[in-house]
Amino acid sequence: MLPYTEGHWRGLTYTRQQFVREYENDCKPDENRNKGASRWSHCRKRGADGSLRKSHAVEEPGKCSQSSRRPESFTTPESEGPVSRVKNWGDEVEAEEMRSNVQRDMHRYRRRILEADFPQRDRKISSGSSDSRDSRDSKESPAKGDIETDEATLIRRQKQINYGKNTLAYDGYIKEVPKHMRQPGVHPKTPNKFKKYSRRSWDQQIKLWRVKLHAWDPPAEEGSDVQQIEVIDLGEIMDFELDVECSADTESKCPTSSGASLSLAKDSFTGTPKKMMKIEDTEMS
Amino acid sequence: METSSKEEYTIQSFDLETQKLLKTALKDPGSVDLEKVSNVIVDQSLKDQIFSREAGRICYTIVQAEAKQTNGNVFRRNLLNRLQQEFKAREETRKRSTQEWVCLVSFICNIFDYLKVNNMPMMALVHPVYDCLFRLAQSDALKNEEEVDCLVLQLHRIGDQLEKMNLQLMDELFNLLRDGFLLQEDLSSMGHLLLLEILEFRAGGWTLSETAQKYYYSEVTD
Repeated sequence: MLPYTEGHWRGLTYTRQQFVREYENDCKPDENRNKGASRWSHCRKRGADGSLRKSHAVEEPGKCSQSSRRPESFTTPESEGPVSRVKNWGDEVEAEEMRSNVQRDMHRYRRRILEADFPQRDRKISSGSSDSRDSRDSKESPAKGDIETDEATLIRRQKQINYGKNTLAYDGYIKEVPKHMRQPGVHPKTPNKFKKYSRRSWDQQIKLWRVKLHAWDPPAEEGSDVQQIEVIDLGEIMDFELDVECSADTESKCPTSSGASLSLAKDSFTGTPKKMMKIEDTEMS
Repeated sequence: METSSKEEYTIQSFDLETQKLLKTALKDPGSVDLEKVSNVIVDQSLKDQIFSREAGRICYTIVQAEAKQTNGNVFRRNLLNRLQQEFKAREETRKRSTQEWVCLVSFICNIFDYLKVNNMPMMALVHPVYDCLFRLAQSDALKNEEEVDCLVLQLHRIGDQLEKMNLQLMDELFNLLRDGFLLQEDLSSMGHLLLLEILEFRAGGWTLSETAQKYYYSEVTD
């Protein structure tokens, strides 16, 4: 004989029945595009003590959370997007992966900065020296103020980087030029997504980077075609504002050329690098 | 990539042509129609109970192989979207065939177990998996040994991971199981046993004490 009265248990039994009812409602064939959310949200209709909260799903299974973009915060990942109301699992997992990759990259980057600040062997007392890779950051602690931490921004930037890396040109480039052989200014370098840049500045860096990568495009037509494209693009860049940093390296100048095919453009760039360098100096101090 | 013996064993349930397709997918994913491969795998997992519990490993291997070879995730995307379709239709599936339903649950949980994203379980699957388990914990399901068996199997395999992802839901689920164990009149004695074991299992931190292990799993000599 159970020591509890029927009344005491009724609460729990009711809960279960209620749950079943919700289930049957949820599992109706639905035309609602928010099916993902309403299906799963019944799980959170209960409070922590097991008692049932008022459930929208019971009343109108189709209407659940149409007003909010993301009905329940942990059914769909919180990212800037592409957030459509109907998320398929494929997209969701890709977004998850992007986010966790970016987080992992950030941890690595932070560690790298720390190591640059406090190199294991010789402790240098740096006072604005530009020895370390990221000299601008080394003066202050590599705290949040110095690096880009906004997840949405990082994800957007990473996507742009991925587009560039997902090209035959990039494949060819990394096969041809191992990392340690890269010469700053000559060889394209992937923009550093963790540095603080304005949106325009960043977009321009990406553009430049991708233009440079074209030098490694697989030979389809003759080289002159490639050259033509490059000249046009560089014309745009020439008109750009001076506050744009062309390169992700603080130590390198704005890229003067991106390959042999740019002999024409090279001359037109002679003036620009100096200006860029000046700006970089002032920014560094 | 060599097909390990475990994978070999798992794909033996397929016809020879499909076996060949899968083997190629494991070694050279870029050369096959990965959408087709994912469909083949899902279809089989809904029919074959043993496969449904082990297919996760093959899927994982293909995902890794594709990422390495072409940096793509066509296979994973197709697999997940197909799985989502099946998940949405789960209530109909359950009405049509309990066997298919438990296969589906096993498969989803197996995927959850194996397909990790940067060594983390896929968050997108947490709620769907819980949904399936909650469904199995309903009274109309608990009275079927087949469904109880499926439920406790999944909890044994991925219960601790699920709990880490969402403790509250796990608590709620176990409230249902406790209820069912105590109150449900049409539970078979095997059903009772399975539920009691899983209650103890979780209470012990997702492991059985030695005595409990002996109690449940030793041969009883008459």
